[in-house]
Amino acid sequence: MIRLVIILTTISLIAAVALAKVYDITKVRIAEQERIKTMNGLKAVLPPFNNDIDKNAKEVVVGQDKKGRDIKIKFYTGKMDEKPVGVAFEMIAPDGYAGDIDILMGVSPGGKVSGIEIISHKETPGLGSKISQDKWKEKFKGRSLEEGSKFAVKKDGGVIDQFSGATISPRAVVGAVKKGLELYKKEFSNGG
Amino acid sequence: MADSETISSDIAGVETAPAPWLDFKELSQDLTRGLWQEIPLFRLVLGTCPTLAVTTSATNGVGMGIATTFVLIASNVMISLLRNIIPDMVRIPAFIVVIASFVTVTDLMMAAFTPDLHHALGIFIPLIVVNCILLARAEAFASKNNSIRSAVDGLGMGIGFSIALILLGTVREILGNGTWFGIPVLTGTMDLFGYDYQPLIVMVLPPGAFIGLGLLVAGMNKIEANRQKKR
Amino acid sequence: MAEQAVAEKEEKRRRLEEPTPKLVLTSSPHALGEDSIERVMWSVVLSLLPATLVGLYFFGWDAFQVIVISIASALGAEALYQKISGHKNTIKDGSAAVTGLLLALTLPPASPWWLSIIGGFFAIIIVKQLYGGLGYNPFNPALMSRVFLLIAFPLQMTQWPVPHPLFSGIDARTGATPLGELQVARLMGKGIGKAAELNLWDAFIGNIGGSIGEVSALALLIGGAYLLYKQYISWHIPVSMIGTVLVFSGIFWMINPEKYVNPMFHLLTGGLIIGAFFMATDMVTCPVTLKGQLLFGFGCGLITIIIRMWGGYPEGVSFAIVLMNIATPMIDIYLRPTRYGARKAEVKS
Repeated sequence: MIRLVIILTTISLIAAVALAKVYDITKVRIAEQERIKTMNGLKAVLPPFNNDIDKNAKEVVVGQDKKGRDIKIKFYTGKMDEKPVGVAFEMIAPDGYAGDIDILMGVSPGGKVSGIEIISHKETPGLGSKISQDKWKEKFKGRSLEEGSKFAVKKDGGVIDQFSGATISPRAVVGAVKKGLELYKKEFSNGG
Repeated sequence: MADSETISSDIAGVETAPAPWLDFKELSQDLTRGLWQEIPLFRLVLGTCPTLAVTTSATNGVGMGIATTFVLIASNVMISLLRNIIPDMVRIPAFIVVIASFVTVTDLMMAAFTPDLHHALGIFIPLIVVNCILLARAEAFASKNNSIRSAVDGLGMGIGFSIALILLGTVREILGNGTWFGIPVLTGTMDLFGYDYQPLIVMVLPPGAFIGLGLLVAGMNKIEANRQKKR
Repeated sequence: MAEQAVAEKEEKRRRLEEPTPKLVLTSSPHALGEDSIERVMWSVVLSLLPATLVGLYFFGWDAFQVIVISIASALGAEALYQKISGHKNTIKDGSAAVTGLLLALTLPPASPWWLSIIGGFFAIIIVKQLYGGLGYNPFNPALMSRVFLLIAFPLQMTQWPVPHPLFSGIDARTGATPLGELQVARLMGKGIGKAAELNLWDAFIGNIGGSIGEVSALALLIGGAYLLYKQYISWHIPVSMIGTVLVFSGIFWMINPEKYVNPMFHLLTGGLIIGAFFMATDMVTCPVTLKGQLLFGFGCGLITIIIRMWGGYPEGVSFAIVLMNIATPMIDIYLRPTRYGARKAEVKS
């Protein structure tokens, strides 16, 4: 009996030590990959910048979720030669056709959208999934709250295309981006 | 170890007689067993969970196939080396610890070096642990044979599993997306003739996995039946 | 040995001289009714005629095209499969034609031609023949094919032309089905929205958006009544399926009419009636016993209403019936009738 315990424990111990070693080796590399991914996203939604954008991100509590935990949003400020060119942050559209749509959006200092990127979504392939097409995302560039009702899907009298057979997903994205602009206004109204 | 001899396995066809250290005929049999006769997915229908989930594209099939093959070879060798140390009563937990360790190593390595593939395969890399093929080979083969034979067996089974994954991934990606390894084979050809290819979206969704696997298994059985008839 | 050989020869000669046997021994059934497969199939076609005509009236040439191509494709698939597999030709029994027609009636009126072709082939080859042909298919071929198409081509399968009656001069344009409107309103958190404006009379005669054969409740009820009269179907499945939908939607409607539409809406829109009378009652894929059929209908109704009220698709009839098709063998096992004269103890074991 005791032999069983010793052998199994030894095997597990060796495995644990080996895994710890591998984790240690890959840790830096994995963090680097994560960073590259974030940077790629930021580059896609912001005008060109040359600061260490992910080093001076500002985290803001914007509300509480159902369980009372804080909802935090990280604002990345992109600067070109020390001059701010835009702020990027993630918004979640909760009203997609099949769950949350995770959006990364960039806002230029004038309060205009500089670009959006769909990070993850569960929309129907071939229908709602078209929200991640570049052609469609392009339409968001330059949109602002000042446009009022023009910033909406065409079905609601706006300028953003919907897809035949799928209006819910585009609507959800538009809604979330608008909410994001309002949030931006609130956080960066002092001349940002 | 005496007990394990009584658990004779129909799957592996293990000889109890002591084999010479290196027997190439035997090794080649070990290798090819996993390629046709006992190709895990089509003949034994083992490992369907990761198969159905990740084969939305041929690339995913290759990634999953390589990951599984690596874990298969590594865990087979390790278990074979430990086969005289591990007491029979705790062999399953011991096998699982070995397998899980190698799976975690694979998971971390893929996250570090192939982030896109790691992202596409997602939860199904850690889930290689519960892939029945691994435990089946550990139990039926590696725990009874020397490490070289076990490595070759793992390689054969891994390649067989990969072939199946790539086949299914190919069928699903071409029909469901019009592309193959990301190359627009079907959409491209249809474009040449001035038509829009309407992808059969169902093929990249879960039902398509079942339909595709069913048709491939049926085709495999048909080929095997014809082969038997010829003999 | 020699004697035996002689006896055998004798026997052979005797048999040859007497080709017609006096007594035929076969397994049951012994009493054959007048109803051949062929006859049943043509009655089904006849019963679908009113709904087909209404569909043609409201959706015109487009609908005609879909119907013709679907039937042709189903027949073609049947012929092709039998040619390849070498099985005997069963095209003439009309079952493939009925499958094609039923499939067409569940398709959107303006669906492209290739949709009908893929649908017909899938229904006949994958759903029917690969499972062993007529009588062995666990799923209703037409309905399974529709489900396949719906998941495969969501865009083409959800383009609904607004009814444009023949000679009315109204142009064809697309709109939404009443159930589609309802779902959009629900997902946007607007209660029942525009769905509340539905004119129930329009829905009853078929002047609403929807699949070719499902729009007119009136025409479908006429066809259903004919099948009931001919006793090709029994009342159990339609009544329990429709009843379940009415009761459940009724309960929710009474609790909150702002959020849930009234039961008549659920009855007259979508595919409930065509499903209950023509799809769920398919002899091959529904339970044998009457008790089993009641349970089957209940299951179909329940899944339908769950999908319609909370699901990801606006309409759930096809999914409900296909899902209950899988349950049919189990229902048949657990609700096996007691043999006449069997004692309780025997039944339990």
